[in-house]
Amino acid sequence: MSLIQIEHLKYRYPGTDRLALDDITLSIEKGEFIGIVGRNGAGKSTLGQAVNGLVPRFHNGAYGGKVTVSGVIAENTPVEEMCGHVGLIFQNPFNQLSGAAETVFNEVAYGLQNLGFPAQEIRSRVEEVLKQLDIWEYRERNPFELSGGQMQRVAIASILCMRPEVIILDEPTSQLDPQGTEEVFRVVEDLTDTGITIIMIEQKLEKLAKYCDRIILMEGGKVRCFDTPEKVFSREDLDECGVEPPAFTRICREYALTLQDGTYPVKLEDAERLFREKGVSPEKDAPAKIVSSGNEEVFRTSELDFSYIRNVQIFKGLNILLDERPTAVIGQNGAGKTTLVRLLKGLLKPVSGRIYFRKEDISGKTVAMLADKVGYVFQNPDDQIFKYKVLDEVMFGPLNIGMTEKTAREESLNAISLMGLSGLENVNPYDLELYQRKMTAIASVVAMDTDVIILDEPTIAQDYPGKRLIGNMIRELSRKGKLIIAILHDMDFVEENFERVIVMAHGRILMDGSADEVFAEDQVLAEARLQKPYITALREILGK
Amino acid sequence: MSGLSLYVDQGTYLNRLHPYTKLLYVLTAILVPLIGGKKILFAVTIASSILLLIIGKTLKRAVPLIAFSFTLIIVIFLVQGLFFHKNEIPLLSLGFLVFYREGVMYAAGICLNILNMLLSFAVFVLNTPPQELVEELEKNGFSSKFGYVINSVFQIVPQMMKTKDTILDAQRSRGMETEGSLMTRIKAFLPLISPVVMSALINTRERAIALEVRGFGRKNKKTFISERQKLKGDTVITALLFSLLILAVVWRVKSCL
Repeated sequence: MSLIQIEHLKYRYPGTDRLALDDITLSIEKGEFIGIVGRNGAGKSTLGQAVNGLVPRFHNGAYGGKVTVSGVIAENTPVEEMCGHVGLIFQNPFNQLSGAAETVFNEVAYGLQNLGFPAQEIRSRVEEVLKQLDIWEYRERNPFELSGGQMQRVAIASILCMRPEVIILDEPTSQLDPQGTEEVFRVVEDLTDTGITIIMIEQKLEKLAKYCDRIILMEGGKVRCFDTPEKVFSREDLDECGVEPPAFTRICREYALTLQDGTYPVKLEDAERLFREKGVSPEKDAPAKIVSSGNEEVFRTSELDFSYIRNVQIFKGLNILLDERPTAVIGQNGAGKTTLVRLLKGLLKPVSGRIYFRKEDISGKTVAMLADKVGYVFQNPDDQIFKYKVLDEVMFGPLNIGMTEKTAREESLNAISLMGLSGLENVNPYDLELYQRKMTAIASVVAMDTDVIILDEPTIAQDYPGKRLIGNMIRELSRKGKLIIAILHDMDFVEENFERVIVMAHGRILMDGSADEVFAEDQVLAEARLQKPYITALREILGK
Repeated sequence: MSGLSLYVDQGTYLNRLHPYTKLLYVLTAILVPLIGGKKILFAVTIASSILLLIIGKTLKRAVPLIAFSFTLIIVIFLVQGLFFHKNEIPLLSLGFLVFYREGVMYAAGICLNILNMLLSFAVFVLNTPPQELVEELEKNGFSSKFGYVINSVFQIVPQMMKTKDTILDAQRSRGMETEGSLMTRIKAFLPLISPVVMSALINTRERAIALEVRGFGRKNKKTFISERQKLKGDTVITALLFSLLILAVVWRVKSCL
């Protein structure tokens, strides 16, 4: 018998009329690494939570069918008992910390303490997993003070020490920088060698394809396909399911390079082999992205010094000139990216030095004074949403900066349509999914019709159609002569959508140039701990 | 370290003492002068608390607490010194203000009491990690759910304060004025409070799931992993503090006879 068996599973959340899971039947063997892909809202997380019994025991709602893990029926087993069999790790590392422990060691021990394991056993298990996940050195640190990647590893350790047979990871890397993502994937890869069954929901398909044995493709609460990554990502209906195949699959499809069984490769090695056999090298796409209207100076900083705490300098004598080209700022967490854009927005004040906006010194201006010139979309949309209708939320900014009701409404409706929210104007933003709330937040700033729009991590939690919408928005606004500045961790998105790329590390600008120039500089990327876009990497390997 | 807890690990002997021993000190320091009924006893307990704060390297951090209480102390001296109902003998006159001996003495009694309580509590709070106290209470049958609530306050509230700052920035970025007249501030209230409450609710829901999958709802007995060795000093100090309490009671009873 399979480790996990799902038979005719149907589920509907309370207060909704749509089936979140619609007649799902599948089985998963012990030790398999399974990926779940699909557009936002396809039912991926719900399926994950059905395996550990949170659906229906925590969420309630209408439930039919049967899920068994190791012979235990999920529907009839209390979650606290089920957690011995199935562990769950989700997106936001911060919310997974219990809040009851002041050290990493105690945080990881917390679950075992609740389950009443003997103290000696708890200590040895915690030590074992902390060492296994390479976070033993942080054992005395306060978990809330760690970086996202470290925090997520603590969350994995907390689940791992309970020795579940199955671990479900629900987009565990979506809020992490490239290095944090790499840390998590490395750890998960090591886990598969220990015989643990992994189910991972993830939007980073290149990585998922590299590690998974099989992939579940979901659409509208149903399983479209459950097969090897090559078979799943070679399907013709992927676009319909809101999934973009991994970069290597896309490029091989373009060149009609197939594996022996007629599928397209999903991994770098396979793509490389096929290209070599055929003796071709992938051409660079025509630069469809160059669209900005001019190179006029927008921002200029002169000898900018900044520090949050006295004697701990973030910027020293920073000089930078930003023109109208869409600009991506990349680098690790802590590199100074957010600090830089907050200074430009006036949310922070320089310790010394000057900031000029269209040649006017704005160092002394307040945020409100700059509101009609510089827009800023925060990372978390829930930090700003407070109205009961999408349209009212989007109109809040335009009305604040003195637009008339009529203009504000027009601008807002345009922004709503640009961000793909048409038809949702009168919906309560809190009833929307996270990715839609994010679009609402972007629309609410776009509607203010500012000269500059700063985006902090706009692609987090977005699926392929969402990223495409954001890409279009960047092009559209650049064409109108607006400066778009974005902080990003998605290098493929950077390469596709930005003319200018600024690489930062330790409060310094390591490099400033076009995407091609930047991604060709191995040394700079290594120092900033960044990775190349996938196709660039493939092209380079083939060129060697 | 969490922003709400006043405790800082200084590695001192006072840090290592059992929370109950320190709690008993607070009780003794407050009760002995009250039972004994002599003002001189306040001087003794206040002096010993200050001494303990010095030994614990926490005197500097206790100063704001004491400074804050001085506002209250001054008000008490003013009110009682001028208006105490038993005021008879003038002590000091400043222009038309006359301070009376009875009122000043009465105020001194109250203020010594306040100062004594504050300082002895400072000894406890500045030298005891809240988690340690909660864990000891839980070991003695205190509900672990209540324990969680207390512990999480120290960790999660400071995080919520950070969220509030981000929300303030997000709304200012959209042109909302947050400073100025009362009306401006009232108008800014809703755009600030709604996201704070909503994000707290969203986070709470996620955290509830995270706790649930780590056996929070389990009804069996929880294991405690920290090995708290009772120090020799704990027994000696506890015995000493108890004898002081008994001595105070005996003295008071004898003096009444």
